[in-house]
Amino acid sequence: MRLAVEVERFSWRCPFAQRDALREVSLAIPAGEFTLVVGPNEAGKTTLMLAIKGIIPHSLAGRHDGTVRVFGEPVAQKNAAVLARQVGYVFGDPDAQFTALTVEEEILFGLENVGVPTSEIGARIRRASELTMISDLLDKPPYDISGGEKQRVAIASVLAMDPEILILDEPTSMIDPLGKDLIVDICGSLKRDRRMTVIVVEHNVEAFAPLADRVVLVRDGRIEREGAPRTFFDDVESLIDCGVYPPQVTQVFARLQRRGLYAGPLPLTDEEGVAAGTRLLQGAGRWR
Amino acid sequence: MGEAQIAKKTLLGMVPADSPFYRFHPVGRMALLIFLSVTPLFIDMPEVNLGLILVTLGLLWWGRVRMQQVRRYLPLLVTVAIFMFGVAFLAPGNRTALTPIRSVGATFYFEPMWWAFVSYCRLIAMLFGAILYFSTNRERDTLVALRSLGVPFAVSYVAALSLRSAGMFMEDFKTIREAQQARGLDLESLSVVEKAKLYTMYTVPLFAVALRRADEISNALFAKGYTLSGRPAGGGRRTDYLRAQYPVRARDWAVSVGLVGAFALVAALSKTTGVFSDHLSPLRAVVVGMVAAR
Repeated sequence: MRLAVEVERFSWRCPFAQRDALREVSLAIPAGEFTLVVGPNEAGKTTLMLAIKGIIPHSLAGRHDGTVRVFGEPVAQKNAAVLARQVGYVFGDPDAQFTALTVEEEILFGLENVGVPTSEIGARIRRASELTMISDLLDKPPYDISGGEKQRVAIASVLAMDPEILILDEPTSMIDPLGKDLIVDICGSLKRDRRMTVIVVEHNVEAFAPLADRVVLVRDGRIEREGAPRTFFDDVESLIDCGVYPPQVTQVFARLQRRGLYAGPLPLTDEEGVAAGTRLLQGAGRWR
Repeated sequence: MGEAQIAKKTLLGMVPADSPFYRFHPVGRMALLIFLSVTPLFIDMPEVNLGLILVTLGLLWWGRVRMQQVRRYLPLLVTVAIFMFGVAFLAPGNRTALTPIRSVGATFYFEPMWWAFVSYCRLIAMLFGAILYFSTNRERDTLVALRSLGVPFAVSYVAALSLRSAGMFMEDFKTIREAQQARGLDLESLSVVEKAKLYTMYTVPLFAVALRRADEISNALFAKGYTLSGRPAGGGRRTDYLRAQYPVRARDWAVSVGLVGAFALVAALSKTTGVFSDHLSPLRAVVVGMVAAR
């Protein structure tokens, strides 16, 4: 199994900080896997993603120990252009990452940086904008469009570079429910059609849990827990204590389990919930 | 594509996408900016500058720029006039060497008033040249023009980033002001001194936000593989997709060279022969005659 990301006992402390933002974190993510990273605010999730992207230590000053490797090579030894080709990063605040004056220029900026030939750029822009449904926005300034559109532009500008790993840092935090659904759909198609290694940092686990191959809980600068979603969300109460809210349907069935009314596996999606509920009611003889 | 194909959003407004200006390459349009906005610096004769203003207005009309859009600048023209003629009236200089004119119960002096008129015509001609350029061009056009002229990527990129930052700065300013108003600040009730103090206070959050944005943009540039040299990984020339979309044709070069040449000719004639001096102005001769007759 080829590893896309290997983090080995990695610690990081910002200048003048009292404690490490990351403390001896170790994590291995196989290529092609969809990883959901959860945890309370200030837990170190974004810092971990910045380390995988190489912004730490290349761009941010601070003290670090341990190693972060992408496809076997330490990120500290890779330059910006190589990292841009391998790891795409969508920031939580899309405004923070816009560096151009129109959406089209925003997408092509990265392509020019990594040396994609001019003849290929048009096709890449078209592909990325079609996938993210922003084809009609190419001529507009990126700061003059809605929050959901901004987020999709940010994703398109990264996808156009065709990275092997895509990191999305709270991609739905600033957008409406319809916009959220679109982002989840895009992530679904990346997993399904491109088999891309996707890492999503998100509080809204409801939408992403069904897509995830693995969920990682970061807390107080450490990885406190990781596993496949079905086992990860088993201990609902302790997750809630950590500030992580499993999908509502999972919480409902966990309560039923505690009261001895349900004994099956906890559902993760609404569909699984309906199926489990139907079985439960049929078993109780209350459903025809 | 909707609006994007019908009209282009320029730096100062909206212009139909089929405006005749767009038949010309951005380099040609930038050459026109140089001709209309810089040439008046070498011309003192007000008739010529007034002629340039008329030409610019004609180009605005030809370029299908909405005249309401241009009318917005009328208060600016009036304010500049009041300021310039006010200074010439209140502080005319060494009065013993000047020609006094008694009119409407006050004493004016011909030379400073005439020089204010000459300078005003020049300034307005330059201003209209800039209005024409920014009303018909987008930031992208400026970028393409700069890159087509061989300006290094890093320089043109910093210019574009500055244009973008100006917009962001105004957005941040608006946000901070709205946040203050939402918390009960009534700008109308403040005196001028209090308003001045308030504007000084804006600098603190604006400065903090600017620093944060600089940090964010620096991370974003790294994330997109940008290096200070602007060269792609592995060396070689940086690809320029944007420029490739705007091929410069022979006609564009002819227009650009013609305009820059005309500018150079005017500058040379002005410096060597003084042909554009205000002393050769027929209008001046008429006004001097009227003053002498009083």
